[in-house]
Amino acid sequence: MIENKENRVIKIFHGPQHPGITGNMSVELDLVGETIQKARTHVGYLHRGFEKLVERRTIIQAFTIVCRICVPEPDPNEENFARAIEGLAGIEISQRAKYIRVMVLEMARIGAQMLWMGGQSGSVGLGTVAQWSIYDRDLILDLFEELTGGRVYHMYIYPGGVRRELPDGFLDRLEQFLDYLEERLPKYDNIFFDNSTFKKRAIGVGVINQDEALKYGYVGQALRGCGIKRDVRKDNPYLVYDELDFDIPTFDGGDVYARALVRRQEIRESIKILRQVIKQMPTEGDIMQKIPKHRKFKIPKDDILVSSESARGEYNYYMAGDGSEKIRRMQVKGPSLIHGFTLLENMLKGEELSNVAMIMNSLGICPPEIER
Amino acid sequence: MIDSLAKHYEIEKKAERLFKIRIDQNELLRTINFIGSSSNFMTLSQITCADWIEDEVFTLNYILTTEQRNKNLMIALDIPRDKSKLPTILHLFPQAEVMERDLHEMYGIDFIGNATLYDFALENWKEIPPLRREFDTLAYVNEQFEFRAGREDNKDVKAETKRRRAEAKKLKAKMEAKK
Repeated sequence: MIENKENRVIKIFHGPQHPGITGNMSVELDLVGETIQKARTHVGYLHRGFEKLVERRTIIQAFTIVCRICVPEPDPNEENFARAIEGLAGIEISQRAKYIRVMVLEMARIGAQMLWMGGQSGSVGLGTVAQWSIYDRDLILDLFEELTGGRVYHMYIYPGGVRRELPDGFLDRLEQFLDYLEERLPKYDNIFFDNSTFKKRAIGVGVINQDEALKYGYVGQALRGCGIKRDVRKDNPYLVYDELDFDIPTFDGGDVYARALVRRQEIRESIKILRQVIKQMPTEGDIMQKIPKHRKFKIPKDDILVSSESARGEYNYYMAGDGSEKIRRMQVKGPSLIHGFTLLENMLKGEELSNVAMIMNSLGICPPEIER
Repeated sequence: MIDSLAKHYEIEKKAERLFKIRIDQNELLRTINFIGSSSNFMTLSQITCADWIEDEVFTLNYILTTEQRNKNLMIALDIPRDKSKLPTILHLFPQAEVMERDLHEMYGIDFIGNATLYDFALENWKEIPPLRREFDTLAYVNEQFEFRAGREDNKDVKAETKRRRAEAKKLKAKMEAKK
């Protein structure tokens, strides 16, 4: 903590040691009393040079790296990576593989929302919610372990399809989990979303207005929490999302509470999607297309941009090939780049110190995807 | 919307809702202003950069998206690697601040008019910008860091694999000869 000569403005670094920070980053805050005058985001604690590493590797080597770009939500990275390679190489995957990918992405979305609930509830002192939601996320990780062999990083979605067939009875076990989760959701309403402590803390805090959200390129709950219905799955559909029936929940408050309600509703929509996937998934079809062996897999000289909707908002992958078996350039833009800088720095001005962790959690900021 | 832009630019359709135009680096501001005023591509989504060292250029893509977020437009331009300068678009899109900072740090591109091009993910970086192709990560790591104790017998994976394969082949031939 540093005090200036007039002893008025106090500068503190909120993170990365702070338990309320969303990962390894820091926000430098200038405070007068408890009120924030200025906020400046610092990243760099987790720069592992993924984009540089990928340039020197073949596809199969790069594939093991991309899932690590966002720890709480690795699957959209795998899927974007695979789809970008497929787009460049002109590979069309089977309908069955598309359904399996949607299933993985929606399972991952529920898992990410559960993890978020743990972090957000912790930031307002409701520790019990975190214990419940992390337990329920673990049940999803059990399913992931059964399907892919990995709990957090799955390395399952590969250019050309997916790597393994579903284990026998997997869809039944997934359905059982969905039944269980649906029973649990009202309990989460009681303990968290309808909790007066959370409401008092979150309503009217961290407000985003619609004009700003559209103009500055905010994504995910930052948009939908101020009443703007935008979702890549509907607006720019990929895989088989255009064959599935689901809603895009929106709320008008624009504040932390509205963004929480959007996430609450999104869990229900993901359950709805998964139930349709279980019913509609074709039983026939190759899960993996015939593709060149990785040492002979030459990526054409071209570039492409692919987008998907992660649990926190739009995720973009720019990919350029140069005709060799290595990727010339892969550039990742997750929701955190704009939310962690432009949005957070503006939003924190005038806020109370005690609200910083809650606001950060509501924006879904994930530092590794900023630093890549 | 795309049809109206087609009167002014040669548009390449990259995917179902992805379009690309190519411009000269001097036309950046004029193009973005024109597209912003004459079409629905109103938000900056991303600025990408790729290093084509063999052509001595960086290729940048300014990716604009519509208000409905249902279409993306890539505005591609080349700039020389040795004089990598471009005007900032910070006055048009505040979110460009962090994107320009990122590219300044990783490629050394100067965005004229952006006064906030300070450290992004790196701290006190004195080497050549790390995402330039000539930056050798392995050489940098070997020079800057020491391997932790216990890794003195660390072997080159490729050479070791080759040696083991040759050994296995030899053994197999020997066994077959014995038969």
